[in-house]
Amino acid sequence: MKGIMKYLALIMVTIFLFAGCAKEPTEDINSAKAAVDTVKSEDAQKYVPEDVKNVNDTMQAAEDEIKVQKDKLFKDYSKAKELLAKAKADAEALNTNLAAKKEEVKNNATAAQESAKYSIEEAKGLLEQAPKGKGSMADIEAFKADLKGLEDSLVEVQAAMDSSDYNAAIEKANAIKEKATAISDQVKAAMEKVGELK
Amino acid sequence: MIKKTIIKILIFSLVIFLTGCRDKQIPPELQMVEKQEINLWRSGAQIYAPVEYSSYKISFGNVKELLIKEKSRFAWFQDYQKVQSELRNILIEGNLLQNIISDNKKNMNDKVFNEISLAKNRIDTIKGLTEMINEGRLARKNLIKAELLLSEAIIRYNNNDYNTAEKKLNNLSGFIKASENAILPILNRYSDRNHIKKWQKMVEETIAQSKKMGIPAIIVNKSERTLVLYKSGVPAWTYIVGIGRNGSLDKQRAGDNSTPEGKYRIIKKKSESRYHKALLLNYPNEEDRKNFILAKKNGLIPAKSGIGGLIEIHGGGKNSMTYGCIAMDNSKIDHVFNIVSVGTPVTIVGAVDYNNKLSSAIEGL
Repeated sequence: MKGIMKYLALIMVTIFLFAGCAKEPTEDINSAKAAVDTVKSEDAQKYVPEDVKNVNDTMQAAEDEIKVQKDKLFKDYSKAKELLAKAKADAEALNTNLAAKKEEVKNNATAAQESAKYSIEEAKGLLEQAPKGKGSMADIEAFKADLKGLEDSLVEVQAAMDSSDYNAAIEKANAIKEKATAISDQVKAAMEKVGELK
Repeated sequence: MIKKTIIKILIFSLVIFLTGCRDKQIPPELQMVEKQEINLWRSGAQIYAPVEYSSYKISFGNVKELLIKEKSRFAWFQDYQKVQSELRNILIEGNLLQNIISDNKKNMNDKVFNEISLAKNRIDTIKGLTEMINEGRLARKNLIKAELLLSEAIIRYNNNDYNTAEKKLNNLSGFIKASENAILPILNRYSDRNHIKKWQKMVEETIAQSKKMGIPAIIVNKSERTLVLYKSGVPAWTYIVGIGRNGSLDKQRAGDNSTPEGKYRIIKKKSESRYHKALLLNYPNEEDRKNFILAKKNGLIPAKSGIGGLIEIHGGGKNSMTYGCIAMDNSKIDHVFNIVSVGTPVTIVGAVDYNNKLSSAIEGL
């Protein structure tokens, strides 16, 4: 009996030694979660969706690993810690890249917006110079209507800029510029035609 | 004795460590499913097969739970057979899902392509109509917005972003409808059989008069933009002409820029005009005055508006858009000017054929 008790005590000590050594890496979890939470923005989804998925997948893998270790008799959080560190580092890198990428796209959008505005102003200027003769009056009004439609659409470009949807802003601004330039060309052609009539 | 016990502890610990702490190998299918899941995501599963992808993710999540449970066990008791079997099922589910995504993408591609073609055709048709009837304000303003959205939709389509392309195409249909609404009231007259019958009768009477009296007569067809000069009831010369900015409408009042429809005659020949040479017509005639009074009475025109006048056939170029007059090239007006005289009948109609340019164009809408 004394012998059995001795062995049981030994087993208890051994279990205590192995199981008690590893503690859940709460600090690592919290700091990784805080970093990962910052990439859950709409912007990140818009500009670097694959990077967001990678970060989330790594975090999920870390959480799964923690779950595994939690229920284990002999806990070992080293792999979970590695994954948490990776998720944190990737999230931080993503944020740095995102900021740079957003800034770049924002600058492109601003340039496209200005270019679209300039194209409309150029077309309007040409219309002002066009002779208001009987023959060209209807053409001028038609072009004015076209430009009014394009000017209205500039509001949508600004709205896209305001909501940080810079790609949509670029898309619309470029389309406006294209149409405004086409109008300028038509106005020039109409002016030449009127010139011929005189 | 103590030494023996310590040795026993060490041996016992070692045995436990070597056998109990070394996990069994995770089924290789796990990595395959993980890779498959990323590929499905990259293929746009969340867009093109959201329900199936969600079901796939749930299945994968359940297997992961099962895996976690097994991994948590003491190595001696770990059994991944069920996990492996489930993972294989998921791989099959994923392959089927990939096929669904491909099919749905192809369908979307075809659908959006057709929608782009339809929208482009409709825009081109309406644009053509606005040019034919000189309707350049409300219709054009909406039309250019539709054109912008079409350009954006095409960019999205080319980038395989069919969902956004379709949203943009849906948005542009409102602008197309608004454009149509702006031009249809003008165009509908040209497919109205009663209107056309009335115009045909006017033309027949004018030609008969020309034939009977052996005099020249002029027929202006607004839908065809032609002026036909008849000699003794026989069409002798046909010219292309320009009409009023709102020339497709019948003139109702001063300043509406419409070209009047009716039977007129030349009341003055102006050899010196701002527009080279001009033939002044007797607009408004008796019927115009009746219609003007009726339109005013019915509130169709502003109460203070005047009936207008000084409608001419003049030079200045066939491509001109006028305040309501009929414009032609200077060399052509020279010729007409020499043949006609004061009193020559001039009949202006919208169309003489049931299938005229404008009625055919409406069918394209």
